[in-house]
Amino acid sequence: MNHLLELDDVHTYYGESHILEGASLHVDPGETVALVGRNGVGKTTTLRTALQLTPPRSGTVTYDGEDVSGRQTHEVAQAGMGWIPEDRRMFSQLTVEENIQVAVKDAERVDTHLDRAFEAFPDLREFRNRKAGNLSGGQQQMVAIARGLVGENDLLLVDEPSEGLAPQIVEDVANALRAVATDASLLLVEQNFPLAMDLADRFYLMDHGEVVHSDTTEGVSADDEEIRRYLT
Amino acid sequence: MIPLVSLVDAVLHFLDPAVLARVLFDGLAKASIYVMIAAGLTLIFGLMGVLNFAHGSLTAIGAYLGGLVMVTFAASASGNVGRIALFFVAIVVVFALLTAFGGAMEVSLIRPLYDRPPLYQILLTFGITLVLEELLRMVLLFYDIQPSTDWLEAQGTRPEIISKTHDVFGLGVEGLEVFQILLGVAITAGVWIFLTRTRYGLYIRAGSEDGEMAQALGVNVHQAFTVVFGVGVGITGVAGALLMWDSAWAASIDLGAEVLLPAFVVVIVGGLGTFRGTVVAGVLVGFVDAFTTELFTSNIVGFSALPELFIFLILVGTLVLRPQGLFGVEEVGGH
Repeated sequence: MNHLLELDDVHTYYGESHILEGASLHVDPGETVALVGRNGVGKTTTLRTALQLTPPRSGTVTYDGEDVSGRQTHEVAQAGMGWIPEDRRMFSQLTVEENIQVAVKDAERVDTHLDRAFEAFPDLREFRNRKAGNLSGGQQQMVAIARGLVGENDLLLVDEPSEGLAPQIVEDVANALRAVATDASLLLVEQNFPLAMDLADRFYLMDHGEVVHSDTTEGVSADDEEIRRYLT
Repeated sequence: MIPLVSLVDAVLHFLDPAVLARVLFDGLAKASIYVMIAAGLTLIFGLMGVLNFAHGSLTAIGAYLGGLVMVTFAASASGNVGRIALFFVAIVVVFALLTAFGGAMEVSLIRPLYDRPPLYQILLTFGITLVLEELLRMVLLFYDIQPSTDWLEAQGTRPEIISKTHDVFGLGVEGLEVFQILLGVAITAGVWIFLTRTRYGLYIRAGSEDGEMAQALGVNVHQAFTVVFGVGVGITGVAGALLMWDSAWAASIDLGAEVLLPAFVVVIVGGLGTFRGTVVAGVLVGFVDAFTTELFTSNIVGFSALPELFIFLILVGTLVLRPQGLFGVEEVGGH
């Protein structure tokens, strides 16, 4: 079977520090896959490597059947890989509407996609002309997810979507991700382990820049001896 | 009490409608010039974080290129309409040539240095300035045009309607100032629409805030950099062509140095990289310049160097009270 995204024995560096030490994983069409592990084991770098924001020094990243290693990030994004990054990365000086417009890849259909985003996130409609920098964290997370939605992406790389949000807002974000997951595959980095297991079909456990364990999420709990060893 | 008498005199002087009108038109014309000479600099810094020290010499090249078109074809374009039409041809030519030059400069010279500290870009663009100035000097000497003094032949191509002072309701209005104001407003509006109403402008505003995020959304930020650098240099050249007709500036090699300092003042006062700030700062500096020029070079007090001093006082005041500039956001332009 053809994987949508496949990382094969990927080694990635920041300067001289070796972050990914032979990471391999894949995401299939329609799947939601969680990437879990302690802080600093290379989860965010894995997403950045997939997008070629931090290209691998060796190993390959295959997307939709093509080797994209070393390509330009905007080309990979155009091919249908979306990013919902940590800290949401709003264009704070742009309005909510403009933030979403930037993410629309088909210039002919900007309005259609904008309507789609506001249908999916009705709350954003009333903020559409407000600067994104002035929104609350939860609202910004919705804008970030909306940007992923309107890009017509087949795969969304989602980094710490619940970080810094109040519990009731986290539930909204989780619902939004479930909705988005009906159209696209998700590779999800999430510290909140129960939430990650709830959203995902499968998970990879990372440690020291490598995948050390992989399984389906069914019946998995953080009390599992094997898993707890890598999370605490 | 001579100072007191002077003060009263000064207030009375500015109550004269003729003087008020003169200050208003001077102020608007100078504002147009300041906004235009700073626009290219602020666009380039805003998106790319590159301080283009070649800005001044590119203005001078624009002035000479514009002058060249005017002088070459002036004989076949006579009358007010002909000359103004020719001037528009000249600015289109200048814009096209300098946009292409700026784009090529970005791809070949600036791009390899993005990952280096800003000092490298400053040294590079400063070096480009030295090269461009000497090349310009060689070309001018070859064609027997005095490089160090104003190019009067180019100024002589001004049509009559722009050269003279018109009588409007008994007030003297200089044709050149009206022309500068109209062109300044048109170009400011053009840049504004480009930035706020076009898809490319949206990419530029997004990319200037977070280039990495814009790329991850599918925006070709490299291409946007090339376009912005090209358009920024093109506008800079058009500003030079406008100055070519103004005897206070005129086409000369020194124009580069004359332009660079006030352009930086306007950009810094407005807030590095914000076009809105540059427009507001240009208007502010223009009016302070016009007001102090009237005050210190009319017969009240004779101190011809003071207007320039006041422009720099605005800069000092801004840096002390609001270092990020009037509309600046801290850390805009960083990568």
